[in-house]
Amino acid sequence: MTEGTISVPFDVYRYTPGKDTTARYQRYTLDLVPHTPILTALLQIRSEIDPSLGLRYSCRSAICGSCAMQINSKSRLACETQVGPEVARHGRIVVEPMRNQPVIRDLIVDQTRFWREYAKVEPHLKLDPTIPMPAGKPTAMSPAQVERFKETPRCIACAACFSACPAAEADPEFPGPMALAKLYRFAVDPRDTAYRERLERIQPGGLWLCLRCHLCTEACPKDVRPSERIRDLKEMAIAVQGATELGSRHAVGFKENLKGAGQLNEMKLVRATDGLMGMVGQLGQGIRIYRKKPEIMKKPRKIEGMDELDKIYAALDTPPKEGP
Amino acid sequence: MKIAYYPGCLAQSSSKELDLATRWVCRSLGIELVEFPNFSCCGSGFIDEANEVLNIAINARNLAIAEKAGLDVLTICSTCQGMLTLAKVRMQDPKVRARVDAALKPIGIEYKGTAQVKHLLKVLTEDIGLPAVKAKVRRPLHGMKVGAFYGCHLLRPADEMASESAEEPHSFEDLLAAVGATPVDYRGRVMCCGFPIQFVKPSTAYAIAGKQILEAKAHGADAMATPCPLCHLSLDAYQNKASKAVQTPHLDMPIFHLPQVVALAFGASPEELGLSRHLIRTDAALAKVHPSAPA
Repeated sequence: MTEGTISVPFDVYRYTPGKDTTARYQRYTLDLVPHTPILTALLQIRSEIDPSLGLRYSCRSAICGSCAMQINSKSRLACETQVGPEVARHGRIVVEPMRNQPVIRDLIVDQTRFWREYAKVEPHLKLDPTIPMPAGKPTAMSPAQVERFKETPRCIACAACFSACPAAEADPEFPGPMALAKLYRFAVDPRDTAYRERLERIQPGGLWLCLRCHLCTEACPKDVRPSERIRDLKEMAIAVQGATELGSRHAVGFKENLKGAGQLNEMKLVRATDGLMGMVGQLGQGIRIYRKKPEIMKKPRKIEGMDELDKIYAALDTPPKEGP
Repeated sequence: MKIAYYPGCLAQSSSKELDLATRWVCRSLGIELVEFPNFSCCGSGFIDEANEVLNIAINARNLAIAEKAGLDVLTICSTCQGMLTLAKVRMQDPKVRARVDAALKPIGIEYKGTAQVKHLLKVLTEDIGLPAVKAKVRRPLHGMKVGAFYGCHLLRPADEMASESAEEPHSFEDLLAAVGATPVDYRGRVMCCGFPIQFVKPSTAYAIAGKQILEAKAHGADAMATPCPLCHLSLDAYQNKASKAVQTPHLDMPIFHLPQVVALAFGASPEELGLSRHLIRTDAALAKVHPSAPA
């Protein structure tokens, strides 16, 4: 082994649908300096050991977003993840394709769904054609307006967030973190004219399926923080449409729920979200739980200092402002 | 040590057993729980979706209560931990701070940001320390394989929660090992339980819960343990639904609250810990504890 290098065992996912009956993990061991990017190592494997290894990459500089994959079960860019810390933590490097997208070959996935969801949010400015752009001058934006989307334009569409998202995994209707973060970016742009329409369109079966687990924010190599922007979209959507969806009814219902006692009233919340008919539908499960946990029917104790909470609500629970 | 006890709504109602176990563990370790009848609900992540500033103000009020008494806050729920911590983080933004202060000051509440917010997991592993926890173990849980299930808001967003590595946390596994149990490593341990969308789309929420349970089972877990009563509801009270969603008739996975596992090892009886209040029976897991262990 050359001085300064470490022996790095890679277990690389290999699978070609239609050709292989099952996926397998192929072991390659390389001597590498610890700061070697995993993409560099994979390209070395491909050029020196096994030219059949399939992977997607381009810029090698964390700009193009092509080389996202799972490295020791986490969705990352291979070009900016170094071998040293991975080996130190896991003893080996397991390289797998991204999740939530079907494998085409080895580490290459079919991104049709990811890009379809992106296209669906219409990720471009919708300008008002009756207002001409000022000729020869930039359209000025205030620092406060720019502040609102300082993070989202950093997105390189690598799909690491989509790969990490449990809602995208469990529900084919969920647009995924990237599409929603893009939607946010255009919705808050003061030049865009489709604010209301964008928020209305994203609500049924889309926005409110976010679990706010923040796994997307963890996976994002550019710190776009999609989960936090999705939260913003939820508040904006309530401002536009009110509590019209199950998700927004639950959020608003929860906010209203604390009035009176300052603590959660479980039955009142179920009723606020699902309505009386919805409650009937859950009667069986409700009884099952009630038999073990009769407190679900109990009204909560009223906190001391409830008047303080009332005053906080009076000061801050004002009707939300609609608009970017 | 003395700490402000923030039990959260569920431990005072449908997850009463979590409160019982917390008190048992704290009594054994000499942690004095100071109770404040004026603590309100943390908003559970839902008020944050409806009105972010209101949610911050509600929790700034909670934090100010503990600050006034000069105490840090003990939480026993990942979501309460997340919401209280988030309020602290957001209050560092001068614009947010000004709006919240404008609502709090007229009613005589001053938020300073001095109180730390600590989940029981952190108190046990860092403040009390694992050697002191180990010293209290009377019935080590040798033979019981437990999958830790952290709950999202204890870990993420990592830069804001600043607890430990969100990607590779280990404090819960360390605690399980300290009380004699064998921690099980599985991908789902840092994943979501599905609870936040249980009202929005139950079928998806149940499928997510079921997936995590299946994974823990596939890695040999006899039980799972969680520091969050919302995860507990999702994994235990709705496990029958999760079973159906993942087309596995009998998942039969016992789900413990974190302090229940610790209290069991300290010698508490299942009755004292309200184990009969769980929807999924826990006896099969308890039976795995090596019989030669002294009672």
